[in-house]
Amino acid sequence: MSIADLRITAEPIDNGRCKFLVSEPIHAGGVRRFASPDEARGSPLPEAIFAIPGADVSEVIVSGNLVTVVKRNPAPWPVVGKAVGQAIRAALAGGQPAVTAKPVAPESATTDDALYERVADLFDSQVNPMVARHGGRVELIDVQDAVVMVRMAGGCQGCGMADVTLRQGIEAMLQQHVPDVKGIVDITDHTAGSNPYFAAAKK
Amino acid sequence: MPRAAPRLLLLLPTVTYRTVAFVEAARRLGVEVTVASERPSTFEQANPTGLVTLDFADPARAAGQARAFAHTHLVHGVVAVDDDTAVVAAAVAEELGLRGNPVAAAAAARDKHQQRQLLAAAGVAVPRFELLTSAADPERVARGASYPCVLKPLRLSASRGVVRADTPDGFMAAFRRLKAILEQPEVARCGDWARRILVEEFVPGPEVAVEGLVTQGALTVLAIFDKPDPLEGPFFEETIYVTPSRLAPTAQQQVAACAQAAVSALGLQEGPIHAEVRYNDRGAWLIELAARPIGGRCSGALRFESRDGGGEVRDASLEEIIIRHALGMPIPTLEREAQASGVMMIPVPGAGVLRGVRGVGEAEQVPLVEEVVITAHPGQTLVPWPEGSRYPGFIFARGETSEAVQGALRAAHARLEFLTEPAD
Repeated sequence: MSIADLRITAEPIDNGRCKFLVSEPIHAGGVRRFASPDEARGSPLPEAIFAIPGADVSEVIVSGNLVTVVKRNPAPWPVVGKAVGQAIRAALAGGQPAVTAKPVAPESATTDDALYERVADLFDSQVNPMVARHGGRVELIDVQDAVVMVRMAGGCQGCGMADVTLRQGIEAMLQQHVPDVKGIVDITDHTAGSNPYFAAAKK
Repeated sequence: MPRAAPRLLLLLPTVTYRTVAFVEAARRLGVEVTVASERPSTFEQANPTGLVTLDFADPARAAGQARAFAHTHLVHGVVAVDDDTAVVAAAVAEELGLRGNPVAAAAAARDKHQQRQLLAAAGVAVPRFELLTSAADPERVARGASYPCVLKPLRLSASRGVVRADTPDGFMAAFRRLKAILEQPEVARCGDWARRILVEEFVPGPEVAVEGLVTQGALTVLAIFDKPDPLEGPFFEETIYVTPSRLAPTAQQQVAACAQAAVSALGLQEGPIHAEVRYNDRGAWLIELAARPIGGRCSGALRFESRDGGGEVRDASLEEIIIRHALGMPIPTLEREAQASGVMMIPVPGAGVLRGVRGVGEAEQVPLVEEVVITAHPGQTLVPWPEGSRYPGFIFARGETSEAVQGALRAAHARLEFLTEPAD
């Protein structure tokens, strides 16, 4: 597929965060989270997104064919989104990998590893048994800088109440049981859900 | 001692499209949110402060459940997102002494016949109407009807079941088709209204949608949307909404006055309204008014802008304004952005099972188009109007003029190809 055929779909989560679903894989080596331009150095895609003039991007998360961008600028996503799309296209058109492999042993790795274990325990013992009642599943993808990245599957993927499950359910449980967690990011492609538990049914 | 963040009781039916917009708007505002739904969340026991189950089918019972919840968690405001929950929100607001509509007003807005009666009695221009039971003899009624006319269910949303008839034969066909919809089990069990059919005069002329916010009974018009595709029937699937309206200023004033008159006639006091108004050489006609905001994903077409002390532009969504209003928080602005804006509710391409959608990337590349959202999922059965009520997706565009936005929406839609297979 050529870059011209590449499809990029924006899914704003809120005014600060937006997921960009790309029709081609970007990074196959797990989740990479970049919390500053310095961390992005050497990876063309996040470098280009941090460099978008005026966007004031604070975070870029890349996983598979999803790019999640967090910005501070109050400008609405449709204004910034086209520049993100251009950055994705430019990065994929280049000869080198859009995202470099995860560096070994970052400073926070020990903390994140410990958090990962605690979050994984919580998911196994409480979260997933609960969502399983609706045919759902929540996968813990990674913990980076105390931010938990999850992917929702089964009945949760595309469910009309997925955001309620994420915010009022999973995030609330994390605050209670693993208070060191700073945030949670859903990297699910909800448009691909084929069997949502609650499908939106009204205009 | 710092004051705790106010708590919002957000009434979210499990099948709504509106979840993300309202939940994330509440988070942006820093308010505590309790999501109430008609079915228990799997996390309700784990987070009893943030999740509660209310019986949306019985507003009085739901108000009692909300009262029980409020005994342990102080609630400062309640927000509904659709027609059914608007009545529940009114009941909860009355029970807890919160800002809201009288239950009778919300219930009247919910029922098309009751609404017509109140509006007609107050002198608001509405089509002539008659209430039938679905057990009536359509042949006999058809002989006495005036044409063209429109047959409607009393409550279904998104123009589901609404059919125009131009002749007695057309009337009988429309009657049988609507009756079949009302007899579907999930509709029939909803109550007596599902055994009634409203027949009303067809009002010619362009139709607009009015988004507004009511405060102490006074309506502030937030936007008037043109609907450039004529809604002439026989079915009334919506397509494009574009604002600002290109109706003449005097016509827009009449539309706004008509909506205000309807708000007053129904007795609505607080919160969002969405009205459908037609305009012709006899003036503005109130077709329908709902005590809720615009439906589906369409609120994405509305953005409100203000400048802070440093001159920086701040934007707010419709949902943020609604939540602020419900909680009595300051509202920085009710001024819509300067740009023209529009949304296309993507028409159902035909009956069948959706296998995929091509051309989304191409549609997004159309100048002025900001977003193409496909909400139908692979494997979903697409049902055309009048039996259906679910759009497979939405296209959003912004630009200098309403004409340019409208053109962009059409161009983007032309690039989409829906791949479907016959349903079993």
